[in-house]
Amino acid sequence: MAAETIKKKTPGYSAKRRLLKENLTAYLFILPAFLVIGVFGLFPIGYSIYMSLYQWRVRQGDFIGLENYSKIIGDWTGLLTFVAGIGLLIAAYFIWNNAAKSVSKTKMAFKLVAAIVLIASGVIISMGWGKMIASGDKNFLNSLIITLFYALGSVPLQLILALILAYILFQNIKGKEVFRMIFFLPYVTPVVTTAVVFRIIFSPRETSLANILIGKLGIAPLKWLFEPKAITELLFGLKNLNGLLAGPSLALVTIILFGVWTFVGYNTVIFLAGLGGISKDVYEAAEIDGANSFDLFRFVTVPLLSPITFYLFLISFIGTFKAFNHIYVMKVPNAQKTVVTASVQIFQTFYTENNFSAAATEAIILFLIILGLTFAQNKILGERVFYG
Amino acid sequence: MASDTQKLNSSYQTHKTHRESFFTRNLGRIILYLLLIIGAALALLPFYWMITTSLMTLGETINRKWLPAVPQFVNYVNAWNEADFAKYFLNSVIITFTTIIGILVTSILAGYAFGRIKFFGRDVIFAILLSTLMIPESITLLPNLMLIRGNIFPLPGGSWMNTLQGLTVPFMANAFSIFLLRQFFAQIPHELWDAARIDGSGHFRFLLQIVIPISKAAIMTVLLFAFTGSWNAFAWPLLVTTRNTWRPIMVGLWTFVSEAGPETNLLMAGAVISLLPILVIYFITQKQFTEGIATTGLKG
Repeated sequence: MAAETIKKKTPGYSAKRRLLKENLTAYLFILPAFLVIGVFGLFPIGYSIYMSLYQWRVRQGDFIGLENYSKIIGDWTGLLTFVAGIGLLIAAYFIWNNAAKSVSKTKMAFKLVAAIVLIASGVIISMGWGKMIASGDKNFLNSLIITLFYALGSVPLQLILALILAYILFQNIKGKEVFRMIFFLPYVTPVVTTAVVFRIIFSPRETSLANILIGKLGIAPLKWLFEPKAITELLFGLKNLNGLLAGPSLALVTIILFGVWTFVGYNTVIFLAGLGGISKDVYEAAEIDGANSFDLFRFVTVPLLSPITFYLFLISFIGTFKAFNHIYVMKVPNAQKTVVTASVQIFQTFYTENNFSAAATEAIILFLIILGLTFAQNKILGERVFYG
Repeated sequence: MASDTQKLNSSYQTHKTHRESFFTRNLGRIILYLLLIIGAALALLPFYWMITTSLMTLGETINRKWLPAVPQFVNYVNAWNEADFAKYFLNSVIITFTTIIGILVTSILAGYAFGRIKFFGRDVIFAILLSTLMIPESITLLPNLMLIRGNIFPLPGGSWMNTLQGLTVPFMANAFSIFLLRQFFAQIPHELWDAARIDGSGHFRFLLQIVIPISKAAIMTVLLFAFTGSWNAFAWPLLVTTRNTWRPIMVGLWTFVSEAGPETNLLMAGAVISLLPILVIYFITQKQFTEGIATTGLKG
């Protein structure tokens, strides 16, 4: 530092020296952060890839190439079929988008094509998946389905509730600050603490809060977090469905409720920020045209908020793939595998089964899925700037 | 007499219609408030259940009523002393404090370098650091566990299992805090730096004497995130603490669930203890807390 006060002798030399000094200072400044993130954030990814190529149960064994991956995926042609199906799904999305842009005559045709491609992609995806699950690692593949159930069960519900709450709070509401604070409280509270409380509230005891509440509606006590049976079986008595069709177990639905309870407040706060960004003029113009308050909500607020809704949907969706703590805390042995999401499955593979290479392989697969989702998020958000 | 009742009736009638018109005029608003109150009740119900259970006798927790007959504050004393929550709480305080110091030092320095110094490879390095935001904890847990045990390369002082450094060092820097501070530092007017340089100040002195004092709001936000992140940490300390020497409160709560039996009242007292620091901080810094999250769009 003191050296800088000594003024230049030859300008070129000193400028070079200063540049070097600037560079050195900067590297010194980022060094501590880079060390920590490099060692505990980046290195693990590389090391996981390395481990996934070996036989590795606590101690390192032989190099086995992609065998760990084959064991999980089962049938590589199944995976290819599955990926092709996803490709078709994306194609359907683009055709549909084109339909929205084109003139009304070709619109119907485009939409029809999109629908056909969509159905075809569904068939191909399920074919590929069926092949994989027939010969692959059922525990991990099923955990991906459970993660998907968890995501699709909790994300849309929390967004809808949050949008309604934010819209109400945005009206001239007395005590707006207090309500916002209350709705935000579940999100702020440590997730392990609230998950432990939910274990008590949704216990199978007859006097648990959940059972008292449904008792008031005349429903017999349920086993909640202890219930591995699918809700389709509990609600409609459908016993012979399995896999995707059966839907989530009641235990998973309870965890979904927890997710909704926790994140509604967070989404409400983000929606509120978005509502503040919509110009008052738009509302006034619509009011002059005779829109009532429902029309305003349906035809002004919802479309103008769609970029935020999209953003929230995608980060929540990715968030459910990362979720671990509350699921691990609410998981009871009685619920069997019906609540084991991908991240919990990875944890169990190395923690209880001591199968390090399998865990590393599962981790890499989950990482690739999250990478793909993040890529899709950036792509879609980049395109859809406004008006959904 | 008859006219009296008539009068009474009619006055009742007008009163009623008046009330009705008030009601119908405000029906929309009343429904809105009703929805908000239902939402607030659902948000608060688990907290109510937790607090009331924590004040009940064991018998009352099994045969639950809405309120305890006599609040059993002794449960808190028991949870604090006998169920080891005092130890866990103190551990959490030390772990959180250490981690926060680490995060502040690393992210202020790095945020400054990325935001205010032009150096070779800056954007590439920054992009690499940011990419770690996508990586979920469940993926890094196993390699990091092996690192901490000293399985991959020897660590100073042998295995870091059950140690303070094992619990804190991996969390002492994160891309999010660096990103947040970089954004803030980059906006500081260049004239300030020019003036400081003329006065003979280098980067480090400028950072200490000018940048940090005028960036209190941003640093406070980083501190809040660091505090909640560290206090709420679960998966990593669960792996690293096989004894209770350094076990933090979240893992302590979990061990109580999985090992202790039916003492729900003590468990709920422990739960209340575990969230108190977070709630205190939340109520003190409520506005900054909520807005920090709304503007950064962070989701955990």
